[in-house]
Amino acid sequence: MPTRPIRVAALAFACLCSAASSAQSPGEGLEIGRKMLVEDNPGELWLDRGKRLYHEKRGPKQASLEQCDFGLGPGKLAGAAARLPRYFADTDRVQDLESRLVTCMVRLQGFDQAALAKSAISAPLSDGSDIESLALYVTSRSNGMKMDPPLAHAKEREMYKMGEYLFHRRSGQTDFACVTCHGESGKRIRLQDLINMTEPAGIQGVVSSWPAYRGSHGVVRTMQWRLYDCFWQMRLPELTYLSDVSIALTTYLHRQGHGAVIEVPGFKR
Amino acid sequence: MRAGWWKCIAASVPAALALGCATFPDAAETRASAEKIVSASFTAPSPQLLKRLEQDRAQRLCSKVEDAALTQEEAAEVIELARTSIQYPASGKLVGNWKIGEALAHDGAGDRIARGVLEKRKENGGLCQNCHALARGEINVGNVGPALTGFGTKRGNSPETAKYVYEKVYNSWLYFPCSNMPRLGANKHLTSDQITHLVAYLIDPQSPLNR
Repeated sequence: MPTRPIRVAALAFACLCSAASSAQSPGEGLEIGRKMLVEDNPGELWLDRGKRLYHEKRGPKQASLEQCDFGLGPGKLAGAAARLPRYFADTDRVQDLESRLVTCMVRLQGFDQAALAKSAISAPLSDGSDIESLALYVTSRSNGMKMDPPLAHAKEREMYKMGEYLFHRRSGQTDFACVTCHGESGKRIRLQDLINMTEPAGIQGVVSSWPAYRGSHGVVRTMQWRLYDCFWQMRLPELTYLSDVSIALTTYLHRQGHGAVIEVPGFKR
Repeated sequence: MRAGWWKCIAASVPAALALGCATFPDAAETRASAEKIVSASFTAPSPQLLKRLEQDRAQRLCSKVEDAALTQEEAAEVIELARTSIQYPASGKLVGNWKIGEALAHDGAGDRIARGVLEKRKENGGLCQNCHALARGEINVGNVGPALTGFGTKRGNSPETAKYVYEKVYNSWLYFPCSNMPRLGANKHLTSDQITHLVAYLIDPQSPLNR
């Protein structure tokens, strides 16, 4: 895949960020930089790669992902991401897009689950992981559609309530819960805007824009990474990829953001 | 706007509408199942670090879902727990060196865990800049907490003020139960000595904060 233009874009973004300190008001320069780059989102390169990987025969079983069931039936991708996380009878679990993707890569293609989980979150300025590209492609097939994950199954409702509980659960040496930083509008950590996830506009902006191209990392990031990174900054232990806590929080946030029109790749600082 | 716009969220889902909101697990069930998944969803370089996930009594009281308010009794308990948590420096001197405090206030690192490694330094940063406006003209500052610009100019540098600031940084819940501000001393993120330097940074007339 063409990596050079991505690194150039990342560099340009870094320059814009450093120029921000001379802008009139905090955040203004960043906002200008964001707007300039969002029109030419480097995440599109990951999307193309994800599409190719989805159709390609890969893994020990030399199979494509074309028969993967993301909840609307095998191979039915349009609108599937807008209805996730949801309960899947064949795994007897509530799964988000990434955990479902891994289920298919293991069952259909024969990949090793532990190896997939280990490589899922890529290094900054790398070519990105297969999962990052695939998650973006599958989500993009819900572009223009409204987020509306179901709460019909008891396990979905249980996940939702656990997510709500966890969103407000304070712990660790910073005493932080998610809501500590994401419960009020107009707040910033240094120059970074904090999204108010307790009001519809804020949370809708979140759930409609991941996976996203992360300028400062030069790669596409997913919701699983977003949650992992929050816990890191909160000084808590490392959130396990596809863990129940990650699924519970995603279930809660996606439901809170219902009605959001999905448009990926998003573009983040 | 945290007023409960989602409260009966199921009402917007036709399938769930028939079942009604009552089919959600109650608070006690949710807590039990959520605590179970917390203990299974994280890794750390040592068992000791995993204990960071365990809530103390005050954290539990301060983790109300949505906007549920603390009862008066709960608030009193949080304050009492804070009071007993505070330790003063052995020297009894609460005002340290503002220059060290200034560097600390702008240091946001220390004690994070990534890829199986603890970011261990001799001492952690004070994290202040993340949430508080500091000296006049500084742009790269947050606004989750109130601006501290000119704090000492307004509040003076009496022993009473020094004690208040020391205690507030050590355990902010003594004065504002369940405040967003980390209990930096009580949680051992900062040492008593470090906090005395932050006190100086806040109240010393020579500190850039007050110029």
